[in-house]
Amino acid sequence: MIRPIHAIQIFLIVAVITLVGNWVGMQQINPVDAALGMLILVAMVMAGWWLARVLPVPFPPIVFVSLLGILLTMPWTPGSEWIVSHTTQVNFLATTTPVLAFAGISIGKDLDKFAELGWRIIVVALVVFTGTFLGSAVIAQAMLRLTGQI
Amino acid sequence: MAENEVVEREFEHNWKLYGIVLILTIIGELIGVRTFQVGPGTALLLPMLYALVIGMFLGPKFVKVVSEKDMSDASPLIVLSVLILVAKLGTTIGPNVPQLIGAGPALLMQEFGNLGTLILAMPVAVLLGFKREAIGATFSNAREGALAIIGDVYGLDSPEGRGVLGVYICGTIFGAIYNGIMSGFIASLNIFHPMAIGMASGVGSASMMSAAGGAAAAAIPEAADTILTFAAASNLVTSATGLYMMIFISIPLANLYLRILTGGRE
Repeated sequence: MIRPIHAIQIFLIVAVITLVGNWVGMQQINPVDAALGMLILVAMVMAGWWLARVLPVPFPPIVFVSLLGILLTMPWTPGSEWIVSHTTQVNFLATTTPVLAFAGISIGKDLDKFAELGWRIIVVALVVFTGTFLGSAVIAQAMLRLTGQI
Repeated sequence: MAENEVVEREFEHNWKLYGIVLILTIIGELIGVRTFQVGPGTALLLPMLYALVIGMFLGPKFVKVVSEKDMSDASPLIVLSVLILVAKLGTTIGPNVPQLIGAGPALLMQEFGNLGTLILAMPVAVLLGFKREAIGATFSNAREGALAIIGDVYGLDSPEGRGVLGVYICGTIFGAIYNGIMSGFIASLNIFHPMAIGMASGVGSASMMSAAGGAAAAAIPEAADTILTFAAASNLVTSATGLYMMIFISIPLANLYLRILTGGRE
């Protein structure tokens, strides 16, 4: 098990990497402002990760971190404007880059298996996108009919 | 699972790995977002895609920068680092909660339409010979939240992880183009009401939503405003509810569906 102290260190290290990426990619954003926004995000992550460990429900940390992010930025939460004004300094795309770097290094060991997916995964992806769109359109149409809106 | 192997030994920071990830991040951001025209649409290359692809080739078989140990050390770090991304996603949803509450039953119910992904795509994946990969590839439309969940439940270096990463990469590169073409085509058939087309366009990714909503609006110009409004609202609902839907409904259902389709073999 990764101990809490190590997890906190990892969150901070990834936060620094993300901030560097955020700064390189979005140079118009003041790194100091973004650092405060990032600290807020890391605090949410730590709290959510801790909740997932101590609460007697088998939900992964993602659930709690996401809930905290939503609850703390809702308009009727005191101080939410302050939080949002700082977290918007961290670009969403910048948070994806280090994660995908870790992912790339990690799947490097199964590169042959990954290559095996080949053209078939492209076909599946196209059906996935079509299914998402058609599924929603069908249910939306049925619900609109049912509620008499169309 | 991969995480369990790490559980056995005492955790030690791998500073070389952090350094490499920092360098990959900087390289990715320096190259920046690139777009290019493909037929009627635009293809998109993002910093994280360069970081992912370069990272994949750093191993002993290619560039020899990272060792087997570095590669297995990276696996549990995906699950932890993705939490920052998840927190950021949450903070983009919170301010819009009032609009979500006012969204109405049709908008909320059509979220279950995302199960159409699974229903339609899983049989195709199984026919093409995918096994556990099919779970990751077809349980959702594979955006960032889906990566986070599959990383947490199975690990991204598992068959399920390869499936979700494969569709994620496809979606990142040509998801917007494809959604644009498909949505414009389906809208022009006049089977669905523009409100339904708008809601369907909100698939939980800003770039895909813009492409799908934009193309449908161009196909039915007299209903353009309706389509774009409902596309944005639905995209918001999907971003907010998608994570919970995937964890509690889509993944269990995907496992059940795969068992049925393969006659219990997977």
